Amino acid sequence: MTRASDRMTTEPAPVSAPVLRERRWYPYLLIGPSMIMLVVVSLVPFLYAVYLSFHAAKFGRVTDFIGFDNYAALLADPRFWNSIGVAATFVVIAVPIEFMLGLTGALVLNQNVRGRSLLIPLLFMPTMMAPIVVGLLWKIMLAGSWGFLSYNVLERFDILPGTSVFASPDYALYALIFVDIWQWTPFMMLAFFAGLQALPLGPYRAAAVDGANPLQMFFHITLPLMTPLLAVIGLLRFIDAFKVFDTIYILTGGGPGISTETPSILANKMTFEFWNIGEASALAVLVWIAFFAFCSVFYQIAKKKLNAF
Amino acid sequence: MKRKIWCFAAALAATTALTASALHPAMAQDASFYAEAAKPYKGTTIRVLDEITPLQETLSKIVPDFEKETGIKVEWELLNHFEVINKGQADMLSGRGYYDAIMLHGSQLGPMLSAGVIAPIDAYVANAKLADPAMNDHDFIQTPYKTTAFSGGKQYGFINWNYNHVYWARADLLNNPEEQAAFKAKYGYDLAPAKTIEQMRDIAQFFTRKKGAMLAGKPLESDFYGIVLEGIKGGSTFSNLWVNFIQNYGGDVLDKDGKPVFDSPQTVAALTMWRELWTYAPPGIAEYSLVDVPTVMGNGIAAQSLAWSDFVLGIDKPGVSPYAGKFVYAPVPAKAGNEAKRHADAEPSVTVISAASKNPEATFLFLEWLASKRQQDKLIEMGQGGVPIRESSWALPAIKDASNSTLFAAMKSSLAVASARPKMEKYPEMFDAMSGIAQQVGLGKMTPEEGAKQGQAILVKLCGGKSCTI
Repeated sequence: MTRASDRMTTEPAPVSAPVLRERRWYPYLLIGPSMIMLVVVSLVPFLYAVYLSFHAAKFGRVTDFIGFDNYAALLADPRFWNSIGVAATFVVIAVPIEFMLGLTGALVLNQNVRGRSLLIPLLFMPTMMAPIVVGLLWKIMLAGSWGFLSYNVLERFDILPGTSVFASPDYALYALIFVDIWQWTPFMMLAFFAGLQALPLGPYRAAAVDGANPLQMFFHITLPLMTPLLAVIGLLRFIDAFKVFDTIYILTGGGPGISTETPSILANKMTFEFWNIGEASALAVLVWIAFFAFCSVFYQIAKKKLNAF
Repeated sequence: MKRKIWCFAAALAATTALTASALHPAMAQDASFYAEAAKPYKGTTIRVLDEITPLQETLSKIVPDFEKETGIKVEWELLNHFEVINKGQADMLSGRGYYDAIMLHGSQLGPMLSAGVIAPIDAYVANAKLADPAMNDHDFIQTPYKTTAFSGGKQYGFINWNYNHVYWARADLLNNPEEQAAFKAKYGYDLAPAKTIEQMRDIAQFFTRKKGAMLAGKPLESDFYGIVLEGIKGGSTFSNLWVNFIQNYGGDVLDKDGKPVFDSPQTVAALTMWRELWTYAPPGIAEYSLVDVPTVMGNGIAAQSLAWSDFVLGIDKPGVSPYAGKFVYAPVPAKAGNEAKRHADAEPSVTVISAASKNPEATFLFLEWLASKRQQDKLIEMGQGGVPIRESSWALPAIKDASNSTLFAAMKSSLAVASARPKMEKYPEMFDAMSGIAQQVGLGKMTPEEGAKQGQAILVKLCGGKSCTI
């Protein structure tokens, strides 16, 4: 004979239809406010940008519908392609270096190094700094002639004589990449370190019993277990690096010439200097489409091949 | 005894006041005009956006006088060069009208007029209740005034600021006997402030020295440079190249009909000189803005420069620069052989009434008051100089008897030939592209011929076969 209390644990109590209906709406009620906020602050401006990209919009006045003219003008503009090239170079160099240095640093931190509790907050400092502070700091360090590093290192040891790195089309982009690496490697390191700390110890103990060496443990245990985190952090950093604006704006303003002009800098210039809002919106939409496509492909690959997400 | 002193002081004050009003009847009339004209607008608050330079800092001390005279409250906001452009334009273009009046550099007028966001003031100037009878606009320095404040037969303001370039050099170096002898031996003429661009080049070449070399009898602790120029992308790098070099060489960006003429042999020659001068400048020249150039001069790193005279005023002061009082100024050098058609870069600027202003009459009164002789005289005297917008200001004691008299002589010379840049709808696009070319040519990454060719192509594309001017 089944007791009433047993039945209660195995079979849900019958629920009336009105209550069910109410429960169906309940989750939507909870996420509703956030969704409304998201739509208002994110989707509406984006849709308006799409609308503007199909219109002649100069000096803040939206006039005629012009179809794909803004897109055609942008795609025919060598300056647009230059900005894509600059951003691609920036990302392709900066992100892998940050990734490798971050992962290496995290593995070192994970070895119970002395003073770790002091080191971690210190490592976070560059990441915590406002981009404008980072820009000003490196301007002071690398300014031609009087910059701290320029004067005490570059000039003293005759490295790049007669050159100011931010004023040189040959070096400015690499100097910006260096600043980005300085700012964001600690973030990667700490994110990976947090991931390493959360890994289960069981597989490592088993591997040790089987006689695996540290390199084998890294490639066969650590890396596969960390893959989802590495994929997410790598993707976020990739997106963020492509959008970089503030430090470039402070340090070079996109110059010399257009040698450090990224799509973000170009879009800002088109909007707030040239007041060519239609074309600037087209640029924003094109970059969004490119990102959407890239992220979708990345998501599928990461999901299927790396078991991430 | 004490009472006697007080009586004497009161009598002296009364006599002084009476004498002053008797001596300046126009000024007394001027003050009463504004009090009367502003009666309908008493209690109104107007918001005015201007740029922060030493000139406006002095002006901000005068603005409260307007409030006392008229009862119109002025919210006077000062922002830096780049912010005043961005914030001011954004407000005008949005149609929000937060600011009633906004200072526009001459170069901003083309786009803002094209957008139709500036209110013309012709109706107010023609209105006897609002127009100051003592204004005397013939006293304004005419070319900058006429080329800036008027467009398409309409008036859009008075002249407010006559920013201009001057030649600036280290007098202690130019007057050093050893340096003078060495210079004469090398170049065959006396070392003195450059009168021609070629002389400026020779001086730049002569004084560019490495750390450890001797300069005016002392060993250099760091590299020294013959010249410093603005080279940043944006700022006024290209206006310096355009007017002080290309125009002085006989070239230009546009012809009289507004058609692009940038690929002329004169432009190529000017760009060639530009490139050569950059080789005598500090390596960070491509980062130097209009603020950095006076700083470099003030720190004694370079021998000479072409700089905005209002920024010079902020540096050549005891306590600001160790070289204060050791500088000499001169007119912007002309191209040798082309002195009769000399040019000097200037950015005459005008505070305009936003088309979205809800208080245009009160704002007009304020702008008129600012440009009046009474306030301009006060501004010059209080600032112990300044950059005049009126011809009569040159005779004021603060300028006539100034210790750095060569600076004011140089300013006067520049303003005698200064005019506003052509009013182009696509001025920002043109300027941005040309700034890039100026940098690339200066850094030697592009030949002068390529620069001229590329600049012409950009202009042709921007103007689409039509006149580039409005």
